[in-house]
Amino acid sequence: MKKALALSIILGWVSVSAYDAAHLKKALEEKECIGCDLRGANLSKMDFSGGDFSKSDLSGADVRESIFEMGDFNDCNLSGAKAQGAVFWKASIRGSDLRGLHGKGSNFKGSHLDKSDLSYADMRDAKVWKADFTDAILFKTDFRGSEIGGSKFIRNDLRFANLKNTLLWESRFSDVVMSKAQCAHAQKEEAVFETNVTCR
Amino acid sequence: MNKFFLLFVIFGSFLYAAPIQSDKEFQQAVEKMGKENKLVLMIYSTDDCPECAYMKHKVFHDKAVEPYLTRNFVILEKNIHKSSLPDGYDYFGIPTMFFIDKAGNKKETLVGSKRPQPFLGELRRIRGLK
Repeated sequence: MKKALALSIILGWVSVSAYDAAHLKKALEEKECIGCDLRGANLSKMDFSGGDFSKSDLSGADVRESIFEMGDFNDCNLSGAKAQGAVFWKASIRGSDLRGLHGKGSNFKGSHLDKSDLSYADMRDAKVWKADFTDAILFKTDFRGSEIGGSKFIRNDLRFANLKNTLLWESRFSDVVMSKAQCAHAQKEEAVFETNVTCR
Repeated sequence: MNKFFLLFVIFGSFLYAAPIQSDKEFQQAVEKMGKENKLVLMIYSTDDCPECAYMKHKVFHDKAVEPYLTRNFVILEKNIHKSSLPDGYDYFGIPTMFFIDKAGNKKETLVGSKRPQPFLGELRRIRGLK
């Protein structure tokens, strides 16, 4: 039993850190890598502005304090990535897997997160001004203390997201479901309820 | 030849960044202070920046912030797409707020928005800087 547990931990570690060395080299040298295997790779504290990482697997990667201004992360896997303090200004992150992302204190200003899955993502104290969350999955996403002003929420179920102390000034909501407490908070924050906002 | 010289002068005048002391708007802000020992709060913004709008319309007019701000600072707004920007005042992100004394010495720079209470704390800290 103990052996099986140890083996599963080791195999788990191997699968998390099993990036392709050639892909990592390419990412570090060319500041981009499309469709690459970068699972668990260390890409922290670097400037990858304008880089294209679309269709890449960055699950569990370390991108802490790196800069990805105008980066392309469409159809990417960033699940469980360590992204504390990372900058994703105006990045395109459409249809991506951000489940369990560690994004505390990160900056997603002007980013496009439509159709992405941010379930269980830690977005505490993040700067997320003017982002697009159209059709994003926000189940248990933790936005506590983050600034989400001027953002766009269309067709989202926010009931299980944590919006405590979030700044929602002029954020726009359409076809969304929220809890009554979230609705009250959003209205206090001067968010804009456009059409079909359900508070239940 | 004269045409080229004229073009050089015209484009050169757009590219030339003057020091803050010779910036007309800065001079007007200093004039506004009179003998009072205030600081200039120069904010860089754009028209399509909700973070800037939040600072200008909400935070600057917050009931706790506004009296302190008015008493100790003169606000100077520069639209980075429309105004000439003084030399030595580069920015990385909008809004950027520069705090400058009467003589044109940069005391502090703040990047990004802040909630009213932390912003007031920053104002107090900056006011206390020597």
